[in-house]
Amino acid sequence: MKNIEKRHIIDSNNLSGEFYFTSIVQEGYAYGLLNDSDIEDIKLQCLKLLSNKSELYNGGESSSIRIEAAESIMKSNLYTIGVYLKSLPDADFAVSELKMVSIPEMYQKGRALISGKVHSAKHIYKMAKANRLINLNYTYNATLDDNGLGIFFKLYNPDYEAHEVPVSIDYQLCNPITDLTGIEFIHKYLENLFLENEFCSYFNDDNIDHILCGYDEGYKDLLINIFEQVLTVALGCMLANSMVVKLDISEEKIRRLYNNLSKEDDYLLALKICEANEKILQELNISSLSLRRYIERSLPKITSNIVHAVKTNTLGKTIVSPSNPDLKPKIQFLSGVKMDDGKYRKFIEELLICRYSSDKLALIKEKVKSFGDIEDLLFDAQLSEEEITSVLGMLGDVEIAELIRRHPLKSDIQAVDLSEVEQALRLFLISYIDQLTADRQDHIFEILNHLIDD
Amino acid sequence: MSFEIMSISSVLIQKQAVAELEKCNDFTTQFRLTLSQRDAVELVETRTLALKSNGRIEFGGGVIEKIIREFCNSPYLSMHNYAETLHDLTDMFYYYKNETLELMSDDDLIKFMKKSFDGLCQGSLELLSGRELANMARNLRFGYTPEYLEGLACGEEDEDEEY
Repeated sequence: MKNIEKRHIIDSNNLSGEFYFTSIVQEGYAYGLLNDSDIEDIKLQCLKLLSNKSELYNGGESSSIRIEAAESIMKSNLYTIGVYLKSLPDADFAVSELKMVSIPEMYQKGRALISGKVHSAKHIYKMAKANRLINLNYTYNATLDDNGLGIFFKLYNPDYEAHEVPVSIDYQLCNPITDLTGIEFIHKYLENLFLENEFCSYFNDDNIDHILCGYDEGYKDLLINIFEQVLTVALGCMLANSMVVKLDISEEKIRRLYNNLSKEDDYLLALKICEANEKILQELNISSLSLRRYIERSLPKITSNIVHAVKTNTLGKTIVSPSNPDLKPKIQFLSGVKMDDGKYRKFIEELLICRYSSDKLALIKEKVKSFGDIEDLLFDAQLSEEEITSVLGMLGDVEIAELIRRHPLKSDIQAVDLSEVEQALRLFLISYIDQLTADRQDHIFEILNHLIDD
Repeated sequence: MSFEIMSISSVLIQKQAVAELEKCNDFTTQFRLTLSQRDAVELVETRTLALKSNGRIEFGGGVIEKIIREFCNSPYLSMHNYAETLHDLTDMFYYYKNETLELMSDDDLIKFMKKSFDGLCQGSLELLSGRELANMARNLRFGYTPEYLEGLACGEEDEDEEY
């Protein structure tokens, strides 16, 4: 008999989390729990509340108010009442409360709840900052900073704009929050962010950095969710019998894992991932119930990614092997000392009066001793395409790679902002590289990957 | 079912406003100014239209009552232009409420209107709207005080006279 649940007239699944008050009134009316006169009474009370709040908003100095401001205050009032109604045991009870209790009273109760939520959100924000990862991802850091989420607590106005989220949140969670707004949204976001941080704290920050580098070396500028990457690799490690805590799975192991997983159907694959998840929770000794639930909620998304990757033979892109950028060879390019300005001016004048290309090339070979001067003369000497190609032909692979690094081969759209000479140089550079053998091209691009900034 | 403000507010507000305007007659009869019920209804309609066209909403009696109380002792008001002037003043008030970016309270704006109407404008609604209120609103938006405007306006007039 313990399993008997009370039957509810209103299905809570039909209620909107964002516009709770309006949806509960609509559902109550649809199921006959509220009649026309109840609705009329609620509307009039809402109007009276709006009138009082508008007066406060204007500080008693103005009897009229802009419609946008009034609408915002009305939304804020309804949101605040909605927060109170949500706190009640169930939707049916909330509807009966709507009939019994006056709107201003419910508003006051909702307002008190919002104050409590703001206080609680501040506390969770502090905790989320305390267990933050040391990571280079820009959106993660910018969102957690005082100039990110911290701004919310300075700008949030629970009296007149309780339904607003006056802050831009760029870092996306693994489980996005879609049906909440105002302080409820921020509260839930911070809770989830804290849980994601907590899970990641079971791993070394450097190991997380390496798997993110394995995903993309430029991950610091990407809009990625760190928790999702970490959990995916952890699952991969568990499925491939690698050390989960080190997040270390080699490319070979990923290939073997693919061979194993590709034999399974979707259901068995999902089952295996679930089992692997259980083992991870045990191995990491994760006892927090809320964290376990959060991970379980994230599993369907990650499972679907892995299933899709297995189907398309791209498991290596979903479960990535770590890559340590510090271990990669680096090339620092030193361009040598440029000739002084006077000499350079004379040299260019001499070059400009040369009639034949062969003379120009001979002069360049004779006078130019540094890469910086070569780069300058490509812009200043008004050389033709053939002459530029000949000059490029004089350069080695490292110099060509450095030239590409300094003048990247961008698309036509990106090139719009460049000067004409710069556009021409890039165009000639592209056609020069295209005419090289594939091996030499690969070699140049390999060098380009290892070149570091000056 | 809608909880949008415009759909639930207008009828109730209008009834309340007409009643409040009729009450004003008790005070204005001493200046031989009265509004018939029809005048009151029309004034409230003007207010509704002015609010709508200026994107504003008002609860309760609103400003017409305040305008009446401020303007009823004006030497430029008599029974033959009373209702008509109130229509124009109401329209003007809401327009300049927005134009001043709500930097001026209702009472201050009405007082400014009255002072200009009786003073520099000498009862001309065109001058009040097109010059005095426009200058004042512009100065408020630029961070000056309304008084700054008055000084400037006098200066301009002096210059005009020289020609």
